[in-house]
Amino acid sequence: MSQTLAAHGGHAVEAAADVERPPLGVSWQKLMMWTFIVSDGLLFAGLLVGYGFVRIASASWPNRQEVFHLPLIGFMTFLLISSSATMASAVAAAGRADRRATVRFLLLTILGGLAFLSMQAYEWTSLIQEGARLNANPWGVAAFGASFFVITGFHGSHVLSGVVILAITAWRMGAGKSTAGGVELAGLYWHFVDLVWVFIFTLFYLI
Amino acid sequence: MANATQGMGYRRYWITWFFLLAVTMGMLLLEYVSWPQWILLAVLVLAMLVKASVISGYFMHLRFEKPALILIIGAGLLLTGAILFVLLALDASRVNQLSVR
Repeated sequence: MSQTLAAHGGHAVEAAADVERPPLGVSWQKLMMWTFIVSDGLLFAGLLVGYGFVRIASASWPNRQEVFHLPLIGFMTFLLISSSATMASAVAAAGRADRRATVRFLLLTILGGLAFLSMQAYEWTSLIQEGARLNANPWGVAAFGASFFVITGFHGSHVLSGVVILAITAWRMGAGKSTAGGVELAGLYWHFVDLVWVFIFTLFYLI
Repeated sequence: MANATQGMGYRRYWITWFFLLAVTMGMLLLEYVSWPQWILLAVLVLAMLVKASVISGYFMHLRFEKPALILIIGAGLLLTGAILFVLLALDASRVNQLSVR
């Protein structure tokens, strides 16, 4: 009887270990962050595909060279790429347990994010002053305004929340309360924001 | 959790940064090139996918994760987005032709 009980107890211990062992070789936290990234990415995919549908279905579309200031957009892209590099450096520094370097790189990333948001706000302001609205714009295609403000606004809200997350992470790291894993998770979110901009920059501003 | 980041110097990230910047500059310079539109479109989309792969591979360390995870994320995002686009583009093209008539 004691052998049977021991066998059942052994199976229970094994089952518990299976539940705790993370799948795909990553921690549960990282796997959940990737799950969130995929789901949020599909949200952006839906918006961009919807924009693609509207654009292909339209007889005409505003000339992007007349509407957008491409040097400004190019510089915004540079800022986001640079902030991704500083974020990756922060993750590397956290992995080495270099708290000061981690906080320094996180602050640089936050600076890049804030600069990007300021330029986005400037772009929005200049287009609104020219008459662009959600349901109308001076360039003759009503869907253009809605596409632009919804897609860039949705992305901008992600950048803003990313800045908040990074500020909290930097504060916690400075106070010795954050782990390298926490910085890595914040980094995944920030790189995702940069990744989405790669698609928006190409599909909306260049094509 | 930080296994993928241990031993990775800053140098790798700054090389990646420089590469991304160079590709972005190239994409912007295409504005001044008078190639056929379909070639410009193909080059821009290709450059976009290269940049996305580099960011996800090196900055997000996806390159160093298990192949199964890479496949799940790649299929989840790129493949789904591509299928969605192709199916809707066909319909959009039909709508365009109807409106032109």
